[in-house]
Amino acid sequence: MNHLKLAALVVLAVVLVGCAPQRMYYWGDYSDTLYQSKKHPSDQSTLNHQQALEKILEESRKNNLRVPPGVYAELGYIYFRQNKKDLAIHNFKMEKALYPESALLMNRLENAAKLADKPKPSEGGSSADRLKTLDVSPKKVPTEKADK
Amino acid sequence: MNRTRTSFTKDFVLLSIVALLCLSMSACAPKMVTKGDKYPLLYEERPVSILILPPMNESTAAEAKDYYATTIQEPLSFSGYYVFPYEITTDILKMEGIYDAELMKNIPLQKFREYFGADAVLFTTIRKWDLSYMILAATLTVSIDCELKSTKSNTTLWQYNGTVVVDLSGGNAGGGIAGLIVKVIVTAISSAMADYVPHARTANYSAINSLPYGKYHPMYGKDQGQQFIEQTHPQK
Repeated sequence: MNHLKLAALVVLAVVLVGCAPQRMYYWGDYSDTLYQSKKHPSDQSTLNHQQALEKILEESRKNNLRVPPGVYAELGYIYFRQNKKDLAIHNFKMEKALYPESALLMNRLENAAKLADKPKPSEGGSSADRLKTLDVSPKKVPTEKADK
Repeated sequence: MNRTRTSFTKDFVLLSIVALLCLSMSACAPKMVTKGDKYPLLYEERPVSILILPPMNESTAAEAKDYYATTIQEPLSFSGYYVFPYEITTDILKMEGIYDAELMKNIPLQKFREYFGADAVLFTTIRKWDLSYMILAATLTVSIDCELKSTKSNTTLWQYNGTVVVDLSGGNAGGGIAGLIVKVIVTAISSAMADYVPHARTANYSAINSLPYGKYHPMYGKDQGQQFIEQTHPQK
């Protein structure tokens, strides 16, 4: 009788596993916290979004899932704006390693973070402002068009 | 001999009925089309990475642009594409003075490939993001046009509209004059609290359903035969 029960359980387990949809990514509260940070911009809502991103990394690791595209990068960008240069660079590198398609952009961001470290007396702005001072080729884009 | 003949006629009659039934049913059902037939260029180019551009807003709600933008990255990733982090790419575009639809349309798409490394860009247009009031009811409509364009060939690889219409009447509040008043109040309340974003998410999923899978999806390159409802009159 016990054997029968066990067999039934095993069959049930197999069936259930077979039917369960394969989860690709864990996004958690990402969309919600991002929306809240736009709707009610504050230090708190920004922090909530940062925590949502950190939780995605944690849950993905726990469940052996690939970290969704852009999550490492976005977290890196938040650190970048908080002037946590090393953490920023680390996250940009992680994004690049996981998604080679992001290499071009991640290299740009990495360079921006490295440059941000050098003191620039002429500028007192945030590190995000300093990204602007980089040599960015598409800078030509709008001007080119405006000239025409 | 005779026996096989009768069974053949029987089969034939049965088959005809089934065929007729199929025909009549397909006439009423929405027209289906396969991904492979509808989007051959996408299967040819096989883009891997998508850059989401700031939405173009044709609705009357100014805030729709920022709010809607928070809903696209996640569903797009589930289709198996590398989706560039919107929060970063939009900041960069803003720094370059590119946040308006008109400006974006004028930029050669190749520039997005050169700067970001994007294989394709996603244009989204918010067609509707509004409430329409009738005397005793209100409906909420979110309508989004999506267009994926190649940064290589400038061609449209995929296009679909996702629309969600929600009835906000708040159910039947009973008969009589009192009932009417209650219903008006219920409608007013639920309209005031109406939140578009969850419905925008639904609209996204209904549009992205027709998008062929990308590199990171297990069905990548195997979904040409998948069917979806054809939109015969793209609202262009």
